[in-house]
Amino acid sequence: MSTALDRQIRPIYDALDTQSNKSAVLACNKVLKKQPNNVLVKALKALALVRLQKVEESLLLADEVLAKKPTDDGVLTAMMHVLRGLGRHSDIVAMFETAYKQHPQNEDLGTQTFFANVRVGNWKAAQQVATKMHKQFQDDRYLYWSIFSAVLQANDMATPEALRPVLLKLALRLISSGNTPSYFNPDRFYVHLLILRELEMYDDAATLLNHEIGQKICETSLVCDEIRRDIMKLKGACKQEGEQAKVKILEKKDRNWLEFLSLLDATFWDIASTSEPASEDVKAAVTEEIAKTRKVFSEAATVDGLKDRSGLLALLELEKRTKSHGLWTDACEIRMMAENYFSQFGDKACCYEDLLPYLAFEGEELEQWTSFLNSRKSFDTPDTLQRSINVYKLLRYNLTSAELTPELELARAQEYIKVYLDGLKFGVNLPDTELQPADDFAILVGHAYVSLWKLTGEESHLQSAAATLEYASARSKQSYRIRLLLIRIYHLLGAPALALDHYRLMNVKQVQTDTLSHLILSRAAMWSLAPLGDITYMSECMEASQIYMSNSTETAEFIARAFSTERYSQIIDFIEFEDRLDNSLQRDLMKVEHVRMRVAHEPLNAELVDMELIELKFIFDRIHHDNRDFEVIPNYQPRCQPSFNEQTLPLKPPGAGWLSAYLKVYIRAFQEASDLDETVEDKLLIGDRPKPSNDPENQLPLRERLVKKRQEEIDDLSEDEKLFYEYTLALSEWVGPYHDYVRPPPSALLAEAAKSNDLKPGHPLKSMAAAANGSATNGHSKKDEEPPAVKESPELIPKFFDDMKSRFDAVISGTALPSELLHIVATTQEAYLLFALETVRFKPNSIIKQYKFGQLAQSFKDLRVKASSILNEMSTVLAKLGEEVATPDGRKAFVQASSSIQDSSGVRLYFVSVKASAHHFTV
Amino acid sequence: MSVLRPFRATDMFKFNNINLDIWTETYGISFYLTYLSRWPDLCCVQEAPNGHMMGYVIGKAEGHGQDWHGHVTALTVAPEYRRLSLARKMMSLLEMVSDETYKGFFVDLYVRCTNSVAISMYEGLGYSVYRRVREYYGSLGLGRASKDEEDAFDMRKPLSRDPHRRSVRANGREFVVSAHDVS
Repeated sequence: MSTALDRQIRPIYDALDTQSNKSAVLACNKVLKKQPNNVLVKALKALALVRLQKVEESLLLADEVLAKKPTDDGVLTAMMHVLRGLGRHSDIVAMFETAYKQHPQNEDLGTQTFFANVRVGNWKAAQQVATKMHKQFQDDRYLYWSIFSAVLQANDMATPEALRPVLLKLALRLISSGNTPSYFNPDRFYVHLLILRELEMYDDAATLLNHEIGQKICETSLVCDEIRRDIMKLKGACKQEGEQAKVKILEKKDRNWLEFLSLLDATFWDIASTSEPASEDVKAAVTEEIAKTRKVFSEAATVDGLKDRSGLLALLELEKRTKSHGLWTDACEIRMMAENYFSQFGDKACCYEDLLPYLAFEGEELEQWTSFLNSRKSFDTPDTLQRSINVYKLLRYNLTSAELTPELELARAQEYIKVYLDGLKFGVNLPDTELQPADDFAILVGHAYVSLWKLTGEESHLQSAAATLEYASARSKQSYRIRLLLIRIYHLLGAPALALDHYRLMNVKQVQTDTLSHLILSRAAMWSLAPLGDITYMSECMEASQIYMSNSTETAEFIARAFSTERYSQIIDFIEFEDRLDNSLQRDLMKVEHVRMRVAHEPLNAELVDMELIELKFIFDRIHHDNRDFEVIPNYQPRCQPSFNEQTLPLKPPGAGWLSAYLKVYIRAFQEASDLDETVEDKLLIGDRPKPSNDPENQLPLRERLVKKRQEEIDDLSEDEKLFYEYTLALSEWVGPYHDYVRPPPSALLAEAAKSNDLKPGHPLKSMAAAANGSATNGHSKKDEEPPAVKESPELIPKFFDDMKSRFDAVISGTALPSELLHIVATTQEAYLLFALETVRFKPNSIIKQYKFGQLAQSFKDLRVKASSILNEMSTVLAKLGEEVATPDGRKAFVQASSSIQDSSGVRLYFVSVKASAHHFTV
Repeated sequence: MSVLRPFRATDMFKFNNINLDIWTETYGISFYLTYLSRWPDLCCVQEAPNGHMMGYVIGKAEGHGQDWHGHVTALTVAPEYRRLSLARKMMSLLEMVSDETYKGFFVDLYVRCTNSVAISMYEGLGYSVYRRVREYYGSLGLGRASKDEEDAFDMRKPLSRDPHRRSVRANGREFVVSAHDVS
């Protein structure tokens, strides 16, 4: 580049670097005036424009640049960003391929072409590029790129079953063609092992692994060691593994639990590896093995003492497996070992979960275990406090249904409170960044009260739980576990604002929003005050969705990077990570919630309808992954009861079936309300489409799929949602034909779009031009056929509103929780909104007149009046309820419910405005 | 009893019980993927038999010449799994890989000067203070003003490639540098 030109271009880069995109455009225009054909400047201008959201203008420039088939590094880099911004990833690939074809000697262009294919998961093409590069540049690294691309192609769902072994064999052949053996580095070695495993060539793999270098690699590389274990297991070499594990445990003092598992597997191999009943000889041999293994574990336990718990726990696991294989073991053996374990490690917080798998005691064993535990309660030091926490948790775990009466649970709750308050003395001097040692007692209180609520149906127990946990949360500000319980309880009590407060204090961020936002955003539309203009929950959805944007812009880049650093062992995981986040169930559940809130919050116009229609259709075909973390919610409920998580879900958590049902509901409604049909949509869309799915179910036309009910969907819906689902089907079946008739033809729409685009000087939308020449006239064209005859509304529609009214009346006269009431009202309201959405087209008098829809309009009006009067009634009742609770009497009742924690501690109570959210349902 | 295994990208879906604790930061995707795409062998996880993550370490190899070393970027154990020597086990893996695979001269790490529990643990593992770094950490924002909380000790332990222990010094606590001087 000449210095003169460089001087002109520098300011453009500077402006782009500092995100001053407007001045970048100006700087570009200045150069383009003198050099109208400067491709680099055009590319840079396109970049500035796309950043300014001027998509159409950027698009035109980008196409001009691409037509010149650029090969210059600066142009290519700029264009890569432009096309990424436009979502045209396949164009990036084509651009680099074209450039590389023109300069096949250019190694950098080859690399860029390879990476471009990697980013979009185009493994076949990637493999071909890498092969070509390997031939040209003779670098083994390109050979491994091509090998691993073949492996990934074999892994790809879209690759036909029969082709997979062919690809893997090709990859294996390529490995032997390399200049250096695969053990040159651990990641290449990993690739080699992976291919052999997939081809089930376990003996060949074992030969590599038993080689000196192979062994050395597995010693320092956990990734290689992991695949080694896997291969040995598949090979059936369990006993050999067991022998090695024995040496590692005894001589090298290796305490990786995997070694203990290897030895356990080897011990029972002769019985476990066959489905035949074991002969007496085999049983005797295994019994002998058990004795040997017991010796190994006992030795480890003795050597380690209090330093490591592996030996003792391995002994427990050994007894458990012995019993499960029907081999003789003393009935009290497991209990005595558990007692021994408790005596040694009872002061560790994890003692409870360590022991859980071994504690299914009954009868006399249970009695002895219980009395053992009872004798271990002591509260003298922080260590004995932790021990006592374990005692209480373990006792609770084995409670039988007979022991779970309201009276006994209440007594337990009171005892937990007492020991909790007592235990606080050990944390008096701790800084507020530390957890209180007694926290888990408060968590137990929460469990006992929730259990009481389940037993009696009395809401006051939930209030007691909330009061105690609030107190504990104030004492231990960093305890996210206490907050988790509070979030659930507040939702049940119909106080979502308080739940949200605690969620925010947990500081959930980045990828955690995918796994944890379900805590507050499951059926968020039900909690939201969007109809009143409060967009808290809508913005919470937007915030939690940020991570999916980062995933789509960042993760693919790291897949390419892992190729360039030759960290092949990471690539499959990176791809899985990207896919699980991209197709996250929670992501699209949140999307649906956002749409539901938008519909309640915003005017129902074409902008909302068209945009959401396109977006929902994009996600309709996804195969979802459920990444939601429910395990993080503590659970100390007895084993005969459902978990705390299950007990406190206001409704069944929405799953893939729920999502599918709601996507269908909204896509149908938007499709009917929208003027966009598929041909129009196709022309208006910029950027790549989602990859078509391979599911045969998805090959049916969309319209057919939208009206098909699946059992999986029904199973996921609540009773009220089921009624709602049926209602929406009936509604769209009824009004669909009228929409289809009145909707303007595609040609008219495209003409409209082209026209509005023409207003911007000099930038016609090129794809529009042809379509706009159709025969359409302005707006509503005259149709040949007669309008569809007006039919009465299906009975199901008014009946839905009546049904919901009687559901509401029934629930309100019982002892229902506020959350149940909210759900009924929210569902009724949603039905009303959908009705509005589906009838808005027929509102103008001109339409009614032109198509003789007078009678139809009357039916709509009748229904609207009916629905809104029912909603108004519900709203009045709810508002009254809200006021009742907020009166001094209501307050007093709440304070009484939480008296247990007050009496004993003299704490100030946090008043919980239960049912506070009840008043917002006005239509 | 814990499983020692590689840290995987998909562990980001599982680490809530560890990362919700106030002392553990949750970074953006690119942070974890940067480490995994370059030094996956310096990142590992301890897992309980029920599949829960107990703790993890994330490290890297860096420096030039005599300064080439393994670095502990993050080491964390969930509250319910503390006092089980998990940190010790993860550190020993990281030291072994820094030594044998990367042939580093030493391993180093930063720790808050106020974190006496951690400092004595590292001392027990053979680490010593090499220098004090001023204002290395942001304030915890909890209304404390102590300088010690923002300052870090850079602690080091020599590996087999440094038999003469040139990478450490006896009176490291006296050597003070500013945060700008360290990478």
